[in-house]
Amino acid sequence: MTKTCIACGMPMRVTEDYPLGNESKDYCAHCAREDGSMQSYAERAAGMASFIARTQGLDEGAALGAAKALMARLPAWAGRA
Amino acid sequence: MKEHSILEKRTRNRERQKLETSRRIIEAAALVFARDGILATTTAAVALEASVSHGSVFARFGTQAALVSAVIEDLGRGIAARLHELASSGAGTRAVLEAQLRAIAEREDLYARLVVEAPLLPPEARDSLLGWQSAICFHLSPAVEVDTRAGRLKAMPLHLLFNTWVGLLHYYLANRELFAPGASVMARRGGELLDHFMFLISKEGSE
Ligand SMILES: [Zn+2]
Repeated sequence: MTKTCIACGMPMRVTEDYPLGNESKDYCAHCAREDGSMQSYAERAAGMASFIARTQGLDEGAALGAAKALMARLPAWAGRA
Repeated sequence: MKEHSILEKRTRNRERQKLETSRRIIEAAALVFARDGILATTTAAVALEASVSHGSVFARFGTQAALVSAVIEDLGRGIAARLHELASSGAGTRAVLEAQLRAIAEREDLYARLVVEAPLLPPEARDSLLGWQSAICFHLSPAVEVDTRAGRLKAMPLHLLFNTWVGLLHYYLANRELFAPGASVMARRGGELLDHFMFLISKEGSE
């Protein structure tokens, strides 16, 4: 069954997309810590910013701003900016 | 009990209707943006195209910026979904880029407007664009990493590889009247661009 990660918006289609393969979770493997729990707001923002900087070359501050703006639209972080 | 289920059914119908109206507004907006430009389009023109009242556009999207943002997200979701399917089947770099070209070609009128107008759009809409560029990178990067490790691609920073590709595509899209007057520039020149880009990033003798 396809769910959308509440913490990053990625569609989760296969078991490997879920944290530790646990399909009952509403967040994806990329948004989980090693023990399977969901990352904090700060951890997720830093992770998303470093991904944006690495893949699109944005300035670090601009990447963090963009990550936070995108996160504010997701259910897990609604209203935060 | 019976009354309860009738009420539930009504609520469900209302929810569905709301979704259908939002869908219709997004599709109408995409059409008018593609035809007349994003910034040049008023919400009244979108309402007219969607055959809904002006009020219901605002009831659903609140602001012009939110509507633009919703259309951009819809466009990006479509492109990313195509790449998602491919990437999870272990496709190589060229196949992922080819799928991206095809997905852009399908909605080229709108996509080209977005390329030209992006720097002038409200921040909310620009964030949406960046969000799905990230999704595209997310699907492309595993293929690039595999091809690079296998010695098929030159080792280079991912952001330079991606920005070189996007820069090339967007230059042709922004000037499509010069490169393919009256036609789809992706359909007409996309193959040439992809060949050239693969030539630039491939290790000698690997292609
Ligand atoms: Zn996630």
